[in-house]
Amino acid sequence: MSENASAARRSRSWTLGARSTYVRIESLFVLFGLSAIMAVLSPYFLQTSNLLNILLASATIGVLAIGATYVISSAGLDLSLGSVLGLSSVVGAVTAERLGMPWPLAVAACLAAGAAAGWVNGQLVTRAGIPAFIVTLGMLGIARGLALVISDGRAIYGLPEGLVYLGQGRPFGVPMPVFIFIGVAILTHYILSHTRFGAHTLAIGDNEAAARATGIRVGRHRRRLYTFSGLMAGIAGLIFMARVNAGDPTAGLNYELTAITAAIIGGTNLFGGRGSILGTMIGALIMGVLQNGLNLLAVQSYYQQMAIGAVLILAVFLDQWQARRAQAR
Amino acid sequence: MTLLEIEGVSKSFGSVDVLRGIDLTIEAGSVTGLVGDNGAGKSTLMKTITGIYSVDDGTVTFNGEPITDLPPGERRSRGIEMIYQDLALAKQQDVANNIFLGREPVKRLWGLIPGYVDKARIDTEAQQMIDRLGAKIPSINRPVGYLSGGQQQSVAIARALTFEPKLVIMDEPTAALAVREVEHVLDLIRQLQKDGIAVILISHRLNDIFEVCDRIVVLRQGRLIADDPRGETSMNDVVSHIVGAA
Amino acid sequence: MKLKLTAAIVAAFALTSAAQAQDRTYGVLMKTLANPFWGAMELGVRDGASNAGVEYYLQAVESDQAAEPQLNVCNTMLERTPTVMITAAINSTILLPCLKRANEQGIPVVDLDANLDHDIAAEAGVEITFTIGSDNEAAGAQGADYVVSQLGADATGPVLVIEGLSGNITGQKRARGFANRLKELAPGLEVVASLPGDWDRGKAANITNDILTRHPDLKAIFAANDGMALGAVEAAYAAGKGDAIIMVGVDGNVDAVKSIKAGRLDASVAQLPYLVGKQAVEEVTKVLDGATAEKFIFVPTLVLTKEVLDAGSEPMLEYVK
Repeated sequence: MSENASAARRSRSWTLGARSTYVRIESLFVLFGLSAIMAVLSPYFLQTSNLLNILLASATIGVLAIGATYVISSAGLDLSLGSVLGLSSVVGAVTAERLGMPWPLAVAACLAAGAAAGWVNGQLVTRAGIPAFIVTLGMLGIARGLALVISDGRAIYGLPEGLVYLGQGRPFGVPMPVFIFIGVAILTHYILSHTRFGAHTLAIGDNEAAARATGIRVGRHRRRLYTFSGLMAGIAGLIFMARVNAGDPTAGLNYELTAITAAIIGGTNLFGGRGSILGTMIGALIMGVLQNGLNLLAVQSYYQQMAIGAVLILAVFLDQWQARRAQAR
Repeated sequence: MTLLEIEGVSKSFGSVDVLRGIDLTIEAGSVTGLVGDNGAGKSTLMKTITGIYSVDDGTVTFNGEPITDLPPGERRSRGIEMIYQDLALAKQQDVANNIFLGREPVKRLWGLIPGYVDKARIDTEAQQMIDRLGAKIPSINRPVGYLSGGQQQSVAIARALTFEPKLVIMDEPTAALAVREVEHVLDLIRQLQKDGIAVILISHRLNDIFEVCDRIVVLRQGRLIADDPRGETSMNDVVSHIVGAA
Repeated sequence: MKLKLTAAIVAAFALTSAAQAQDRTYGVLMKTLANPFWGAMELGVRDGASNAGVEYYLQAVESDQAAEPQLNVCNTMLERTPTVMITAAINSTILLPCLKRANEQGIPVVDLDANLDHDIAAEAGVEITFTIGSDNEAAGAQGADYVVSQLGADATGPVLVIEGLSGNITGQKRARGFANRLKELAPGLEVVASLPGDWDRGKAANITNDILTRHPDLKAIFAANDGMALGAVEAAYAAGKGDAIIMVGVDGNVDAVKSIKAGRLDASVAQLPYLVGKQAVEEVTKVLDGATAEKFIFVPTLVLTKEVLDAGSEPMLEYVK
């Protein structure tokens, strides 16, 4: 409770824009600061095509991070995101390639596989009362294993044109995954910041007992959240599959950590009660800009790992520093 | 007129019998004091009324209709509100959202997109309620965790009163308050009674109970020990009922 | 009851040691089976064992990152006292305690797929009978050979190398082999970036996009495995640059073969894990029969291209599994 209270006290100093949408100013500083550095170091950074590259590269992690934002701001956790991404990409590819179904069915199968895995998570967390950490860690293994079993351990390569278009098409010169990413972000922003579903998500994460007392059906809501998060993993799996023209059982390995990190950098409270899609988008873009810049500069792999780690710590340090300053006032 | 009727309600947690066959009726517009030692079952009994706990045995009837199997949200919409001892506030959400928690009004955004929470309306109506209560809150859009204990109490009360309740249950509403604030809460209870709203007041402060309640009910070890109009009992009687010396 | 059980165990021991006098049982420890590469190697081991007329039991761990579990499995395998231990260690040191025990029990050790370092092993008191595997540096070099064969020795322009998991020795050797040979054969082709793709085809696609921004005239991409090469291929085609870039992977996976046949991926340096598995069993059998083996046995690799696949006459193609 004191944790929540102090977080609430802090949030005054970093709110920006609409009342219902908290965006940490620090995260914007980091994003623009990082972009400025990259722009100075590499003349290619600010090219339109490169900015589109960053959005394209951030699409998969960004959509996963949206799922993470919803679950974490309800004081839940979903560690299975990356594995479910892999599973749904394999299910989609099997539907299209091995079963020869029309590609819209493959899209549906891909999304359904993600949602189904999330649904199972939700049932186990709320009905069996197993901690989310354990349930989703278990699902991390199960989904990955299932993906390997279904695909026989090898990538399913060669998808129908319609499906590949979703990953590689460029209407108006903009890659399709960017459209999907932005569309999903707008829709999920609306839901989290402007609907009862979103308000109840934050309330449950803030104070579950209070939410229950005001008549919010907490168990049902949590089940929906995990299903939603699984669906996001399904969409991310669809993007991944369409981009690389293959259902890859190893796709998304460790992506959940990057996704959760993006959500946290974007201001989602790790203990629940606060989160915004706008913030998460900034978090995902910070990671995307960093990776893109390091690639443009052809930084060697060991230094890349160090740079990424350092920026993460810096982003969270700025938050803590700001919080201390706010408390001192 | 009988508003609430509890018949033979029992509840146990594991091997502990917390409520052992409670019968209690509450009249519309009455103020009932509920007292008892810690662990006597007061809060548990109240939570079986609001629906947070299901009963093992017995029935709860509200306004002539059985509500024993209804979920908390349904009971709330029928007019049962409770102000919890810990206030049950979402500390990172703002004052207005807390007051409307679980009951957010929605409209169509631009007349098109469904499900849009009408934040403007929430803010306006929440502000009206705060003003009506005469509470001093710095801003309706401040996160509740940022407010003082007394201010948070006002938010919890505002939430209970905004939707025209028929019964308001208050669990130790004065425990954490300064003298002046206590007086304010007691005034509020009198006001509610005048408006025809029934109140159940749980308190350790017998002075408060005797000041505002028509009737005093004593629980001990999950049983209803005494149920007397204020004029027919005394503080000494009540204390002996509580400790079991009578 | 207890006595009976002990008697049974003693009897069982007597039986197994009697059996071992005639029959050989090889212990084979792999990294993981959740990967077609190791699946093919397992097939090779099976065929090699049946040719040599020996028994084997094969174990693996859940992933090729599970180092400590592999050590535990190794120790358990020793309980059955195999005739030899054929191991594909997850890293160069993790299995050494177990292999030392094997040596002490008189069990020879074979290093499958070249994961051990002979010097480090010797320091730890482990004698490796021989190492067998594909030469990853040579595989990288073959990739460079192919690129130069397509672009010509006096070609100039930027080249991208996509490495494996940061710090992984296999990926490093392939990338190094490629870069060194390229410099030697066509100094005009410059490796402008060598970046970690972490064996992740999504990351490889991102890297390809990023480098294409900076070097729109990219001439060739070498990826340390086929999955990443295919990610690069898809990204390059999506950017409309697919036909202008020579793209090479390593492994010879089924999906790489499919992509080559479809005219998208240009080439894959096929490792022949089937052959590695098969020869490992056959060679160690010869050693047990008294022959002496080379310390390093390199199983050749094969550059798969559309021409090679379409012609289908290359005899080694039968080992591409």
